[in-house]
Amino acid sequence: MKGMRSPILPLALRVALGAVFIYAAIPKIADPVAFAGSVAAYRILPYFWSYLTAAVLPFLELVCGVLLICGIRVRSGALIIGMLNLVFMVALASAMIRGLDIDCGCFRQDGSKTAPWVALVRDALFLLMTAVVLRHERLQARCPLPQSAPPPPVGE
Amino acid sequence: MADKSWLKTTLEIAVIVSASAVFGILWNRSLLADAWHGAPAAQAAPAAQQGEALPMPIGLAQLKELHDSGQAVLVDARSGASFAKEHIAGALSLPLEEATRQKTPQLKGVAKDAVIVAYCNGFSCHDSMELGKLLIKSGYGSVYVFEGGLPEWRDAGYPTTGGGR
Repeated sequence: MKGMRSPILPLALRVALGAVFIYAAIPKIADPVAFAGSVAAYRILPYFWSYLTAAVLPFLELVCGVLLICGIRVRSGALIIGMLNLVFMVALASAMIRGLDIDCGCFRQDGSKTAPWVALVRDALFLLMTAVVLRHERLQARCPLPQSAPPPPVGE
Repeated sequence: MADKSWLKTTLEIAVIVSASAVFGILWNRSLLADAWHGAPAAQAAPAAQQGEALPMPIGLAQLKELHDSGQAVLVDARSGASFAKEHIAGALSLPLEEATRQKTPQLKGVAKDAVIVAYCNGFSCHDSMELGKLLIKSGYGSVYVFEGGLPEWRDAGYPTTGGGR
């Protein structure tokens, strides 16, 4: 609990999470067709929706990554990233259950393959990082750190 | 107080998601328009990043229509052995390995303005995309990639030929 009040770990996790999501977004923005292929490979969405997802998702990752790194609207950004991670995990689990031998499509879109279970473990780690960031945000909102406390009334 | 905070967060999330969606759709508007219409247009494949031209994606329904009307030349990017075993009826074989060796591969008897659809072994296979890029480099103007490949075609019950499995 004491660790959660220390700003160092949540700050580091917040910046790391933001950097990871920006790093994930850039190759997808650069090659939306390849990413659409990765999305379609999950065989969850209809044809056009794979392309719509490939068009929108990287920008959402990019915006949330920038918000986390800059420390702006952290709670909203972290909540979106948490929800995205949950969606990714469900999609990966479904691909594993159906026995699909596909690349997760998480980062590079150059044809290299990352197994779904590796991506699932990685997403679980990101989800844990998000939870730490969100918990720190909640604690800060409830009870601000001492340096931001108002000065005691004069005469006391 | 807590309710107000959650309302504010929900609104922020809605704004972030909406702004990202609008920006992403605008950024990829031509790709989305092509994916929406599906049918190949008589235009060159769009220029992509770093000056490289990428083949356009094409769906199963559109490919079936082109296949049945004989308007497209299907090119199988898999190995010769896989092609001999089974391929989409009427497809030509041009393994990616062979095309890469040739650098500017040519399809015998196929005009440069013909509609060409490359395919391979489904969504996990990227050979068709690579072959499509090489064909564009060779001067073919309308090159598409059927990402579902042979598995999607076969699963839909459409005709294949070859030595059988």
